[in-house]
Amino acid sequence: MKPFRFKAIINDRPVELLIPPNRRLLDLLREDLDLTGVKEGCGEGECGACTVLLDGRPVNSCLVLAPEASGRKITTIEGLASAGRLHPLQEAFLEAGAVQCGYCTPGMILAAKALLEENPDPDEQTVKTAISGNLCRCTGYVKIVRAVRLAAVKMAGKGGGR
Amino acid sequence: MNSESRGGKGPELTSFPEGPGFRVVGRSLPRVDGTAKVTGGARFAADCKLPGMLFARVLRSTVPHAVLRRLDAAGALSLPGVAAVFTAADIPGNNAVGIIVKDEPVLVETGGRIRRIGDPLALVVGESEAVLEAALAKIKVEYEELPPVFSPLEAMREGAPQIHEKGNVQSVTRIKKGDVEAALAQAKFVVTHRYTTQMVEHAYLETEAGVAAVENGLLVIWVSTQNPHYDRREVARVLNLGQHRVRIVQAPTGGGFGGKLDISVQCLLGLAAWKTGRPVKMCYRREESMIASTKRHPFVIDYTSACDGEGRLLAVKVRIVGDTGAYASYGPPTLKRAAVHATGPYEVPNVFIESFCVYTNNPPAGAMRGFGVPQIAFAHESQMDLLAEAVGCDPFTIRLRNCYRTGSVTATGQRLTASVGIEETILRARARAQELGIWRGEP
Amino acid sequence: MEGGTMKKRGVGVGCMWYGIGNTGVPNPAGAFVDFLDDGTVLVLTGCADIGQGSSTVLAQIAAEELGVNMEDVLVVAGDTGVSPDAGATSASRQTYISGNAVRLAAQQAKQVLLEEAAEVLGAPAGELETASGFVWRNGERTSLALEEVLSRCRAKGKLSLGGGSFNPAATQLDADGQGVPYATYSFATQVVEVEVDVETGKVSVLRIVAAHDVGRAINPAAVEGQIEGGCVMGLGYALLEEVRVKEGKIENPALSVYLVPMSLDVPEIHTIIVEEEEPSGPFGAKGVGEPALIPTAAAVANAVADALGVRFYELPITLEKVVEAVHGS
Repeated sequence: MKPFRFKAIINDRPVELLIPPNRRLLDLLREDLDLTGVKEGCGEGECGACTVLLDGRPVNSCLVLAPEASGRKITTIEGLASAGRLHPLQEAFLEAGAVQCGYCTPGMILAAKALLEENPDPDEQTVKTAISGNLCRCTGYVKIVRAVRLAAVKMAGKGGGR
Repeated sequence: MNSESRGGKGPELTSFPEGPGFRVVGRSLPRVDGTAKVTGGARFAADCKLPGMLFARVLRSTVPHAVLRRLDAAGALSLPGVAAVFTAADIPGNNAVGIIVKDEPVLVETGGRIRRIGDPLALVVGESEAVLEAALAKIKVEYEELPPVFSPLEAMREGAPQIHEKGNVQSVTRIKKGDVEAALAQAKFVVTHRYTTQMVEHAYLETEAGVAAVENGLLVIWVSTQNPHYDRREVARVLNLGQHRVRIVQAPTGGGFGGKLDISVQCLLGLAAWKTGRPVKMCYRREESMIASTKRHPFVIDYTSACDGEGRLLAVKVRIVGDTGAYASYGPPTLKRAAVHATGPYEVPNVFIESFCVYTNNPPAGAMRGFGVPQIAFAHESQMDLLAEAVGCDPFTIRLRNCYRTGSVTATGQRLTASVGIEETILRARARAQELGIWRGEP
Repeated sequence: MEGGTMKKRGVGVGCMWYGIGNTGVPNPAGAFVDFLDDGTVLVLTGCADIGQGSSTVLAQIAAEELGVNMEDVLVVAGDTGVSPDAGATSASRQTYISGNAVRLAAQQAKQVLLEEAAEVLGAPAGELETASGFVWRNGERTSLALEEVLSRCRAKGKLSLGGGSFNPAATQLDADGQGVPYATYSFATQVVEVEVDVETGKVSVLRIVAAHDVGRAINPAAVEGQIEGGCVMGLGYALLEEVRVKEGKIENPALSVYLVPMSLDVPEIHTIIVEEEEPSGPFGAKGVGEPALIPTAAAVANAVADALGVRFYELPITLEKVVEAVHGS
């Protein structure tokens, strides 16, 4: 197989590398770039642990071939905090007690980020729908939903956040 | 979620009061590992990378009951990128693990018994993940199939295929208090039913994973686990090493719910790293995790309970059969715990409880959140409602009439002397249900 | 009749008790505490935090006992190279058992400081406490700073180390099942409200009230998190989840066919923490991890029976079973 020249902006930084064309985006991020905040939970797009943002929209990186993501903007959990300051969603997840084992957390936060960018003041049902592709086995989702709404308040207070 | 009416608030971040007295306990402080988990900085076992690292995958049986006649790995070994294939013959120590009974082989020996679909037969170690699948396909296995048994009730019968040497009934628990038969004969209301519950998967979001390396004669294993010190005992015994030469480091663990109490990758990783001298990593894919890991025990529960005209419990008679599958795992204590808890949180003067932990050729069941009590609670709580209907009272009333209080004596003869909060939970749950308009019965 | 479809509501109650720790066998835990030169604290424990939050709770217990802030405590957990055996993270045992071990270790480490402080202050060590960076006597702050006590100890070659271990007071059951299988029990009552669509068989859980006696809640938000997670796992057990096995083979070994609850399945959950303190628990604590889930399926089954007037004796209560029961009856 002829290698593919992958170019993208990942967490605001340009990245360029040669990859096999059948490489999953998940593996490129985890194995080639050591962005291990992207988790694999099922490998079939059911659990959402591998969620990343592709041009701001959440995708299951286990179902995306890396060449499809070439030329686009990718955000992983590692790209959220800036200059040592946590993103309001990260703060809210801590404050609301929305983290237990933490394995679903990166994907959950990214799904929530995409939601809040589209809808800065979602109601409970809207939050539940937005994270319905992300499984959590620990928390029962209650504090996760609350954290997302808390983050919305925080971001509104800061003029919409980052 | 109506946050106003909910029990607690979120974590408190206010400063602490000065001086002695409760300052930290009782406060909803944020998790100590929270920041690492919201930033992606927490390194789970699958996130670890070591220089020169190999990868491993298990060949598993596709039949439920058989003798392993022959295993030929030559085809796999001839593939470029395959570093080694290990079988039972490579295990230097005791090839048997298990928290209660050492009845489960790390790798099934040639001539040895396969007891379920998914039993580990060989371990393939390669330079990349990619080579492993092809290598597994090149290993030739010959089975001599044996008649299987899948129903625990059948497995208990005379003449059923024997899964382990000591018979299919792994353990029995009996609890006797008072005279059940006499009490049943005199009771105004007697209710009998059979309850059955299903096999359940833990479905932790992180599958089993670990990395092993040998550092200056010390075997170090970073692993997703609920019990690192148990892992150390098993790895040391299987590899015939002193416990001091095995170091288990629990990696951040993505949920367990009881399913990461058993040995999964630990011994195989240890074997591969010890034999090759190189770091080795193994992560189960989801399908393998669901096939290989233990499950919640399916139960068959025959439950008889009896009360007087006012709904006071007079007797409880229970027979529980739990299907522990091919290996004991935490089966014996699960069935023992189910027996101990079979009355529910109620004082019953006459009790006879029997529970049986039974081997079959099904996937093994082990510990899962609740250890047999969710199953038995389904039965005893259904029975309480049926008795309430018979007596003509509401479900809270019959529970309040029978629940433990300070000084109550349990079925095992234990007197409860302190911290008996069941009555308070019933009263407060009922009050809240009334406030919310969920419960419209008597206060 | 609501919205043109047949929907019936019902309410069910589920109660439970749960013995903390392993059943009738020794199951000890150990811990080490090192009160460091600058007044910060290292806790070494074998207790595996698998997400339930034991490292946080153990840090709180050490901080409380030593009178320091949480951020001044580091818990190193689950490394057999450095930490003593704490047994399994199972049986809802770690808050009670490792919590006691950590507290005992912290007391031993603190005792070194209190004896030194007693010498300086000319007061009995029994009247002294450490808190907020100072030594306190009978609840009053003295002028003796903790750091000074620590440096005086070091000058004399004394390290402030402690080791603790705790084994619950349980006994083996005899042949008639008599004995004390657990030192203490947690209790709970859950009330579940359901709506059953008799056409489709769908059972929707609308609200859950979950009252749990956990002893003293060391971290109430963490306790709530356990209860909420347990309720939702319990809903899965009651209504959705089943590993289908045919001739020993699992037919649904994937998350696309083995369905666990997702966010949209989650009802309103009203948690009530009941704190009946356990005298032998660390600061009165017991446990909550498993109790959280135990009564849920029972309460759901009772609620469905209340709604339909038909009772199910088999879990899970799937759409198919509901439809069959309703139309068969």
